[in-house]
Amino acid sequence: MEPGDSTKQARAAAQLRKGVLEYCVLALMRDRPRYGVELLQALEDSGALATSQGTVYPLLSRLRRDDLVTTTWQESTSGPPRRYYALTESGRAALEEFTRVWPGFRDAVDTFLTTPHPAHPSTGDPA
Amino acid sequence: MKISADPVRDYLAAVEREASVLPADRRQELLADLAEHIEVARAERPDVAVGDVLMELGDPRTIAQTALAESGGGAAAWGAAGEPARRGKVHPLVPLLMITLSLPVAVLFSDAPAFQLLAFLLRVTGAVLLCTSVHWTAVRKTTGVLLAAVLPSAAIVTWNLSAGAGVGDAPAVLPNLVAFALMAGTSVWLWRARRV
Repeated sequence: MEPGDSTKQARAAAQLRKGVLEYCVLALMRDRPRYGVELLQALEDSGALATSQGTVYPLLSRLRRDDLVTTTWQESTSGPPRRYYALTESGRAALEEFTRVWPGFRDAVDTFLTTPHPAHPSTGDPA
Repeated sequence: MKISADPVRDYLAAVEREASVLPADRRQELLADLAEHIEVARAERPDVAVGDVLMELGDPRTIAQTALAESGGGAAAWGAAGEPARRGKVHPLVPLLMITLSLPVAVLFSDAPAFQLLAFLLRVTGAVLLCTSVHWTAVRKTTGVLLAAVLPSAAIVTWNLSAGAGVGDAPAVLPNLVAFALMAGTSVWLWRARRV
């Protein structure tokens, strides 16, 4: 049985999110360190990138293992201390690399989605 | 069902259960991250029910699956992580030998129906094992089955039904040798082309 349209859309969005989420998380830390709940709130507010919040922690854990981010504890005026995530040198480099390739990638996809593709040129009408 | 007094502990226990295949240190890290998140979220939004905080975190199984994928660098790492594959783990030599040896078995014991059946079963089982193996691509499997099993079988049947029938054993030597060479040659090719 074919899955419903909403399921298909959700799957397409999930596939897209999988590829770009880590760079969006890195981008959120570009200007200042952020703590987990804050990162998740920003993703939530973005709409399209909102995801089951708990799944971002395994991603953050990998970024930490791959030395793209570091964490530091900071006391808070309200509640428990927060663990802040900050970019490392290689994290910043990875973000810059993604920032460089993304426009070309986005434009290429847009081109495929919007340009009409005629049939094979040799089968076109003689002028 | 027991009514729970501590939904947070129950939630973390569910994550722990679902993440049981994760290495222990990764699992503890994940649980610590989630516990921290819950604590911070509750401190920042004291008016939100703890159930809502847990619901926003999401399904424990989904979180555990994501952690599993991230811990090995994606689904491709499943095999490398030491998870046994459920099928296709047969040594690549097994289907090749079964297919190749089915012919000598059939020829050498051509008077014994039991051995004819054995030869047939060897060839079919070999072909099935070849098709379910993880050691070859789909194209190579198809080519292999066609060349090593289907084509020789079809040739032998054709031979038996036409020219070879009733002539005696001697003229059948050549086609049998050709069929055997085809099977052996294909098996050698498959062996060399296998994925290790």
